[in-house]
Amino acid sequence: MTSLLNLAALDKSGAIEETAEAAGATRADFFKRTGIATAGLVAAGTMFDGLLSPAHAAISSKPSKANDVKILNYALTLEFLEAEFYNQAVTANALQMWQVKNFALVVAGHEGAHVRLLQSVLGNAAVKKPTFDFGDAITNEAKFVATAQILEDTGVAAYAGQGPNIFQRPVVKAALSIHSVEARHASWIRLIANQKPAPAVVDEPKTEKQVLGAVAGTGFIKG
Amino acid sequence: MNALNLEVLDRDGAILETAEDAGATRGDLIKRAGIATVGFMAAGAMFENLLSPAAAAISTKKSAKNDVKILNYALTLEFLEAEFYKAALAANIIANAWAKDFATTVASHEADHVKLLQSVLGKAAVKKPSFDFSAALTDEKTFMATAQVLEDTGVAAYAGQGPNLSQKAVVVAALGIHSVEARHAAWIRFLNADSPAPGITDSPKRESTVLSAVADTGFIQS
Repeated sequence: MTSLLNLAALDKSGAIEETAEAAGATRADFFKRTGIATAGLVAAGTMFDGLLSPAHAAISSKPSKANDVKILNYALTLEFLEAEFYNQAVTANALQMWQVKNFALVVAGHEGAHVRLLQSVLGNAAVKKPTFDFGDAITNEAKFVATAQILEDTGVAAYAGQGPNIFQRPVVKAALSIHSVEARHASWIRLIANQKPAPAVVDEPKTEKQVLGAVAGTGFIKG
Repeated sequence: MNALNLEVLDRDGAILETAEDAGATRGDLIKRAGIATVGFMAAGAMFENLLSPAAAAISTKKSAKNDVKILNYALTLEFLEAEFYKAALAANIIANAWAKDFATTVASHEADHVKLLQSVLGKAAVKKPSFDFSAALTDEKTFMATAQVLEDTGVAAYAGQGPNLSQKAVVVAALGIHSVEARHAAWIRFLNADSPAPGITDSPKRESTVLSAVADTGFIQS
């Protein structure tokens, strides 16, 4: 754990802790949305289905502390996806090119740290890790590179889409400091793939619905 | 260009409000610079004021006026980048095809960022300072090392001010540029055989830190 993951360092004004403390109420909202009455029964899968279904699109464009928790859980979901993708690719050990292997190793470390950072911010309000199946996208090098590019570009667009909805300053700060690292990853994998690293004058944001629809379309999330 | 269309950026009208707020804000700037009439507002005088850490203009208290200050700060940094790449291409020192592609593409992006911020700021936009990049444009290697510092600084500057922005449409615009700066930074780092993403998170930098670093380069003449 680096000092970057230290909540106190991130949270000079105490607002992130307030977000985490707001978890009780927010968690209650989640239960209501998913129709579950007791905490013991909140399986990660059920929560995640709720988060993934565009019909249940949780994030509002009205900034509030409760909404910040939703945004952070949305970010955590995407970071789980990325972290698990790279972890499994590194474990599978089937990538050949040095550049690709190095990218997978470094970015696996970053995404894992982003997961822990968001979990530490969310505390008890953090969603659980879903289960994933990436098929041969973690062993076939060409598929791995193409998938990594899509995941990173999507990550950039997702943070750009939600940054403007965040209410609390330390949460904005944390989100922006991750946002640009996702953009660095996107640029990096695009260079490896011989694609334009910075394909546009500005990066267009994507809504929660667009991102979760795309994620659901990959079939990577099993439950 | 679609990306530079104000209406695309400004669905709820907040950016136009910022631009309309320019009158009052320019008044503030004049007061701060100690200049009584608009006719005397030379770009240089405004810029020196912006560059002096003691007169650090941006507040952490969110307001539409503060957004104008932040946007002018961003515009200043984009002027610097845009002029740097333009001068680098004109200096004809870049031989490597990868470096040339980077310089050409990024020159165009930064010039578009300038136009985007100018269109958002309208009459409140600061004028372009004059620059001298000769020290950084002696050869390809110095150009590439300088580009890396400028892009990393751009990322840190946007990260530092994003949390201070008040209007949602301005945040949308700033974040759209922020990640492109990060893409540039990773790109030039890759070409320099440096780590494209050197940290788990990118640390923000304050206005005073960024402007002192910029002043230290000596790139800005007035």
